[in-house]
Amino acid sequence: MNPLNVIPTIDPNPLPAPYWVFKVLLVVTFFLHIVAMNFLLGGGVLALVARWGSRKPDLGNRMFLDLARKLPVLVPATVTLGIAPLLFLQVLYGQFFYTSSIVMAWPWFLVLVMLTIAYYGFYYASFRSGRQIGRAGAVMVLSVLLILLIGFLFSNNLTLSQSPSRWAGKYFADTAGWNLNLTEPTLIPRFLHFFLAAVAVGGLFLVFLAQARWTADNAYARQLLRFGGKAFMYATMAQVVVGIILLASLPRALRMLFMGDNTAASILFVIGVLGAIGAIFLMSDALRKENVRMAALYVPAVLAVVIACMSIMRDILRDAYLKPFFHPAQFAIHTQWSVLPLFLLLFLGGVILWFVMLKRYGLLTGKRAAT
Amino acid sequence: MAMNYPVWDVTFGAGLLMAMVAILHVFVSHFAVGGGLFLVITERRARRNNDVALLGWLKAHTRFFVLVTVVFGAISGVGIWFTIGLIAPTATSNLIHAYVWGWAIEWVFFFVEITAALLYYYGWEKLEARLHEWYGWVYFIAAFASMVIINGIITFMLTSGTWTKNHQFWKGFFNPTCFPSLAFRFAVALALAGIYALITASLQKDALLKGRLVRWSVCWIAPSLAVLPALGWWYIHKIPPEVWADVRGPMPTATHFALFAVVLLAVTFTLTLLALVKPGRMPLALSLLVALVALGAMGSFEFVREAIRKPYVIANYLYANSLYSDTTPGDGGFSVDEVNTAGIVHSAKWIANRDLTKKDQAAVGREIFRLECESCHTTDAYRGVKHYLALRQWDRTKIQAMLSVLGLMHNGAMPPFAGTDAESRALAAFLSTLHPVSATATAAASDGQTVFDQNCSMCHRISPGDTLFTKLPKDPNAASKALTDLPSLFPAMPDLKLPDRQRLALVSWVNTQRKARGFGISAKGAN
Repeated sequence: MNPLNVIPTIDPNPLPAPYWVFKVLLVVTFFLHIVAMNFLLGGGVLALVARWGSRKPDLGNRMFLDLARKLPVLVPATVTLGIAPLLFLQVLYGQFFYTSSIVMAWPWFLVLVMLTIAYYGFYYASFRSGRQIGRAGAVMVLSVLLILLIGFLFSNNLTLSQSPSRWAGKYFADTAGWNLNLTEPTLIPRFLHFFLAAVAVGGLFLVFLAQARWTADNAYARQLLRFGGKAFMYATMAQVVVGIILLASLPRALRMLFMGDNTAASILFVIGVLGAIGAIFLMSDALRKENVRMAALYVPAVLAVVIACMSIMRDILRDAYLKPFFHPAQFAIHTQWSVLPLFLLLFLGGVILWFVMLKRYGLLTGKRAAT
Repeated sequence: MAMNYPVWDVTFGAGLLMAMVAILHVFVSHFAVGGGLFLVITERRARRNNDVALLGWLKAHTRFFVLVTVVFGAISGVGIWFTIGLIAPTATSNLIHAYVWGWAIEWVFFFVEITAALLYYYGWEKLEARLHEWYGWVYFIAAFASMVIINGIITFMLTSGTWTKNHQFWKGFFNPTCFPSLAFRFAVALALAGIYALITASLQKDALLKGRLVRWSVCWIAPSLAVLPALGWWYIHKIPPEVWADVRGPMPTATHFALFAVVLLAVTFTLTLLALVKPGRMPLALSLLVALVALGAMGSFEFVREAIRKPYVIANYLYANSLYSDTTPGDGGFSVDEVNTAGIVHSAKWIANRDLTKKDQAAVGREIFRLECESCHTTDAYRGVKHYLALRQWDRTKIQAMLSVLGLMHNGAMPPFAGTDAESRALAAFLSTLHPVSATATAAASDGQTVFDQNCSMCHRISPGDTLFTKLPKDPNAASKALTDLPSLFPAMPDLKLPDRQRLALVSWVNTQRKARGFGISAKGAN
C-alpha cells in the first residue's frame, strides 16, 4: 500500500499563526518538558541506585529519602510542561501523530493509567519515606519502571508517527490497536539515548540538592555532589557510545544530514558532541576540586546548550523523515489576531506570576529551600 | 469515525471508553475549581475565628484535595486529550486548529494553577497566614479561568452559533450556551467542594468538629444544588428547541439520562439534608454515597449534553462519524454529499477491502460499519446494533431501506448514511449477518403495535402531532393503499413493502390509538 494513500488529509481550518510560530513553541516547550522529565526519571533511577547500590546503606537511604520527597512535584512539572508540546505537535503534525497513536491505541491509552499509578506511587513513597523505607523502595521501583515503560511507548509512537509506510500493515493486522513499533531500527538506541540523558540530568539534580545543602550540611552535601557528579559523568560517557549507535541506525541519507549534508544540523551536532564531552571534563574537574558552584552552574549551562541542540536536531530529523509526505506549505495560514496577542500577554503574565510565586515562597533566594 | 483516519476498534465501545474517561475527569476537575474557593474561604474563616481545630482539618483536607485534583484531575485531563485523539481524530484536529490559542491560554492558567496548588499545599507549614491565603486565591482564580476557557470550547461543540458561517474564534467561543453552561458548571463545582469535604469531614473523630464540618459542607452543597434547576432552565432555553426535543422521548439515551440527572440530583440533595440530622455522627458510608449519587447525576448530565449534540460532534459542522455535514473547501472529500457521489470505497483511506463486485459483500460491509458507525456503535456491546436488529426483526432488504432514512431516525440523532447504493447494500449484508432474520419472519408480526414498533417507531411517535396520526386516512382501505407506496406520501420515507396483513393491522391500530387517546385528525389528512 502506498503510504501517501493512507496519510490523512488535514482539516479545513487554517493555521491560526505562521508555521514558524508553532515550530518555535514546539521546540522550546519540548526542551522544557524533556528537562523536567529527565529530573523525574533520572531522580527516580538514582534514588533506587542510592537505596540498593550504595556501599554505605545509611547514606544511600538518606539520599533515597531526600529524592523521594522531591519526586512527586516533578510529575506535575513534567506533565504540565508536556501538555504544551503535545498541543503544538498536534497543530503541525496531527495527521501523523493521531494516526500512529490509533495504530498503537491500547498501549497509548494505557500510558495514562500507568502514569496515574506511577504518580500515586511517588506520593506514597514520599509520605512513607520517613517510616517504612522498605515498602517505599518497592513502590518506587514500580513507579520508576512505569515511567520507563511510558518513555518506551513514547519512543514507539513518535518513531511510528514518522514511518507512514508501516501504518497500514500494522493497523489492518490488528484494528484494536495492540501494536508497537518494535521493528524500527532506531527504537532501542533512541530510547536508551533518552534514558541515559535522564540519568545524567538526574545526576545534576543531585548536584543542585548538594548546592542547596552546602553550608547547612556540608558533609552530606559533598556526598551528594560526588554521587550526582559521577552519575552525570558515567551516563554521559555511555551516551557517547549510544549516540554513535543511534546515528549508525539512522537511514544513510538521514545520517548524512548531521555529517555535512545539512550545515545547520552538522554544526548543532558538533556543538552537541563537544558540549557533552566538555561537560564531562568540567564535572570531573569540579569533583576533583569539590567545587559545587562549578558543578551546579557551569555544567548545567553547558548541558542546556547541548539539550537545546539535541532538541533542534530531533526536529530536523523528524522533518527529514517526513519529507516525502509533509510540506509546511500545505497549511493555509490565517493568523487569529483577535486571540494571539491575548495569549502572548497572558503567557508573559503567567511567567511573571510564576516567578513571583516562587520568589514569595523563598524558592528563588534559597531561604526556605533547605527544608 | 473517520474514513480519513483509521478507526480504533474498541470491543466494548469507543463511546463508552470516552464517557468513562470524561465523566471521571469532570467529577474531579469541577471539584478542583469549587474546592479551591472552599479552601481559601474556609481558611479565612478559621483564621478569623482563631479556629485551630478547623485549620487542622483543612490542612489534612488540602492533602486530599491535592491527591485528588493535582494527580487524578490533571492526568485524566491529559487523558481526555489522548482519548479524543484516538477516538475522534478529525474533530480533535479541527478543535486544535480552530482553537489552539484557546487551549494555549488554558495551558497558561493550568500551569499557574498547578504551581499555586502545590505551593499552597506545601506552604501550610512554611508560610505566614496572609501569604498562604494569597496562594490559595491565585490557585482558585487560575482554576476558574481555565474552566472559563474549556467551557467556551465545549459549549461551542454543542451550539456552534455563527462560527459555522464566519469561523471566527470569539463567535464560536461566546456561543449561545457559553454563559449558562459556565454558571451551571460553577454551581456544580461549588456543590462538589462541599461533597468532597463531607468525605474528609466524616473521617473526623471529634464529634463537635465533625458536626461543624458537616454543616459547613452542607452550606456549600445545598444552595448550589438549589440554584441548579434555574440555571439548567437558562441553559436549556439557549439550546435550539429542536435539539432539546431529543430528551422528550425520540432519543432514548437523551431521554433516559435527562431523567436520571433530575432524579439523582434530587437524591443528592435529599441525602445531603439527611447528613444534617446528626451531623456529629455522619458515617463515612453516607458521604461516599452522596459522592457516588452526585457522580451519577453529573455523569447523566454529561451524557445528555453529548447525546443531544448528536448527530454532531461539532454542531452543524462535523458529524460524530467524522464526516462534514456540508461540503467545505479543504474537507478532503469527506462530506456526506461527496461520499454519496464518490462512494466510501473510493473516498476512504483506511479500508482494506474495496471490491464491491465480489460475492462476499458482508466483508466490505464490515469495514463500512467500522468507518461510519463505530464512533458510536458496536456490533454487540455498547449501543450494539445486533440488539436493535433483534428487537425489530429486520431482514437484509428492510435494513437497506432503513439505511436510507438513517438521518431521520430518533429526531435526527444519527448522521445520514453516506455512500452509494452498492455500499448501503454491502452494509445491509453485513448487518443482516449479526441477527439473521428470514423474510417470512419479518412479515410474521400481525398485531398493529408490533408492526409499528418494528417499522415506524424509529421516526414516528405516539403523539397527537405525529404525521402518522394526523395524515393517515381514517378509512382502512384507503390508508392501507396509501401505505403501499411510502415515498409518495413523503419523499424521505423508506420504500418498505409491508404485506397486506401488516398494513391493515397497522391502520386499525392507528385508528384505535386515535380513538383511545383522542388524537385529532386534520381535515386534509382525512380526505
